Amino acid sequence: MTDREGVSRRRVLQGAGVAAVAGLAGCGGDSGDSGTNSIELLHAWSDGDGNAAVGALIDGFQEAHPDVEFAEEPVNGAARSNLDQVVTNRLQSNNPPSTFQTWPGKTLEKFSDAYADIEGDVWNDDLKNNYLEGPQTQAQLDGTYVTVPLNIHRINNLFYNQNVLDSAGVDPSTLSSPADVVDACETISQETDAVPFAQQTSGAWSTVQLWETILLAEGGIDGYESFTSGNGNRSEVKAALDSVVELSEYYPSDASSISFTEANTMVMDGDAAFIHQGDWAAGAYSGDDSFNYGEQWGQITYPGTSGSYLLNMDSFPYLANNPSPEATKTFLSYCGSAEGQVLFNKEKGSIPPRSDADVSQLNQFQQDQYEDFNNADNQPPSIQHGLAVSPAIATNIGSAFSGFLESYDAGATADALIDAFN
Amino acid sequence: MRNPLQILQRRLPGRRETRTDGGTASASTADGGESFLSRDSVRSAPFWLPPTLLIGVFVYGAIGWNVLLSLTDFTGLGTPDYGSLDFENYVVAFQGGTPSWSELTVDPIWNSLGNTVVLVVGFAAVCLALGLLLAILVDQEIRFENTFRTIYLLPMSLSFVVTAKFWLYMYNPQTGLINIALGAVGIGPVEIVQNPDLKLAAIAFALVWQFSGYAMVVYLAGLRAIPDSHFEAARVDGASTVKMYWRVIIPQLRTATVSALVVLTVFALKAFDFLFSMYGYQPGPSADILATRMVREAYSNGNWAYGSAIAVVLFLMALAIVSPYIYSQYKRGAL
Repeated sequence: MTDREGVSRRRVLQGAGVAAVAGLAGCGGDSGDSGTNSIELLHAWSDGDGNAAVGALIDGFQEAHPDVEFAEEPVNGAARSNLDQVVTNRLQSNNPPSTFQTWPGKTLEKFSDAYADIEGDVWNDDLKNNYLEGPQTQAQLDGTYVTVPLNIHRINNLFYNQNVLDSAGVDPSTLSSPADVVDACETISQETDAVPFAQQTSGAWSTVQLWETILLAEGGIDGYESFTSGNGNRSEVKAALDSVVELSEYYPSDASSISFTEANTMVMDGDAAFIHQGDWAAGAYSGDDSFNYGEQWGQITYPGTSGSYLLNMDSFPYLANNPSPEATKTFLSYCGSAEGQVLFNKEKGSIPPRSDADVSQLNQFQQDQYEDFNNADNQPPSIQHGLAVSPAIATNIGSAFSGFLESYDAGATADALIDAFN
Repeated sequence: MRNPLQILQRRLPGRRETRTDGGTASASTADGGESFLSRDSVRSAPFWLPPTLLIGVFVYGAIGWNVLLSLTDFTGLGTPDYGSLDFENYVVAFQGGTPSWSELTVDPIWNSLGNTVVLVVGFAAVCLALGLLLAILVDQEIRFENTFRTIYLLPMSLSFVVTAKFWLYMYNPQTGLINIALGAVGIGPVEIVQNPDLKLAAIAFALVWQFSGYAMVVYLAGLRAIPDSHFEAARVDGASTVKMYWRVIIPQLRTATVSALVVLTVFALKAFDFLFSMYGYQPGPSADILATRMVREAYSNGNWAYGSAIAVVLFLMALAIVSPYIYSQYKRGAL
């Protein structure tokens, strides 16, 4: 009896040992096979339009380059911050992926040493001639091309529900300044039962992007750029905050408890008149057959910011010490092509950053946005969406706004925002 | 389970005895080797050594490494420079200023430290009081006792992410249950989630809801351990119900209180998940706790060394709560 038990116990131990060794070997194998061709792309688009978009992009790429193998790895959890942590850990252990989803611009400073120059290989004359100046600047880290932007979401939009505006007697095309929006909100609150300005305030991001849009209106492109370079004019910063404080009077009373999706649904249901958001808000509208562009809803450039296309972009950077150098460059070149960008943006609801894309496959709203983009005088980078300021400054700005949401103290927040750069 | 172990124990010394009797080893080495090998601590090594090593490396090793990291200037990617260690991060944490590893000024941690202490003390006190009350009520041999116990304990099985989203809805000024209840007694809709005066209290309240069931279970076990004769003797001596609990029963619940307190405070120190699900990285100055600040510094800004320094402060706070408990258990011979 005991003998047999002893044998079986030893067997179990041997088995466990073999398994452990095999497991260790497996770990080693992962980082060892760097010679292979397969592309490892990390992204956080695990559902919805983002997932459809990246799927369409990869399908298109594999059709064009059937020889390149793809190991797509969506990072579960679906939050960009989570993806950043995964990439951080990978880079710390010197095991970078081929590429990953990231904001371009100053966000690149977070992993600055990990990127490599792709000017020439990917950023050839074709890309340089066809990207407008704004997106092209954002693809560079200290003057070196390291990433390929593949879509643009506009931030300075004001979406509206046509029926609510009609019943309030407000014509959106007559609004020309942030103050006009506040006046229109007052009219709507008097004439209708709808909430004038849908907004969520449990997180700070919606308020930061609203403020940056109004700052662009108050300070113009020069005032906006001097703020993002650390020389902001306090009175402009405060004027923009004052305008946000005035608008906050017209928020839903439960703004702090709802999410962006719920705020956006209020506009779709006719419970709210306006919403300021990136143009991903329109993605939800296109899913509703009874809520159509030009009929039930419309969009104007946020009053006071005409001529600017406030950029929020996603991009795929090239990492040094790349596990699949040639394949990655092939893929990034495809991301930089008009064909790939149209496939991606058709699903994503954004527009291609290339000015020569054939957008006839995109919907009418996207085509109108694309026309605005190509006719824009300037394409300033978004502060909230990581393009305009380095991550540490973005954190300071987020802190300032988390205080602003508690107190709506424009003066103190203006000081904190100017201080964010020191 | 026990039987094979006993057999094994009986067999091991038996084998050694045969070997000594056989005299296969020389006298001197046999003496030295034998006394060392036959020590209890050595003979039981297979049982205590692996867990000790594992805990030593993965728990204490990690804590030690974190402390070491907090003395460096490590930011961003690459490897930390362990060559130049100093307490700069702790100076910055308590005084603020511009550290050598940053171009930006860094705020001291006093605000989040204060919020953490308020949250821990407020949450733990209310949670224990409520848990005790529930335990006494459930202990009255009521009908459906098991059902009630399960209902009270159930919130603890939910993750912080679920409860945070749930309470975001509960606090909604228009449709949330809290404001409907307040409205019923004539208090108009109150903004709670972004109200600087109520934020931290609202978070503590939600945590109390989640963990008072745990305090109840611990107290219930404590109450059940008290012999009925104590209740009866108090009754015979003419004590009222309140007096009986206050003077006779509650003093006997000391161990239950301390062990529940330790677990609850550690939960409150780690309330990061809850705040993150509710507010994201930035809970705002009136609700920012050390855990949220630490994650912001480390993962948003890549200031690993400074984040480690905040983690060490958090660790010392947890230690300050746990160690008196461990010490008192040790003094009472319970360890």
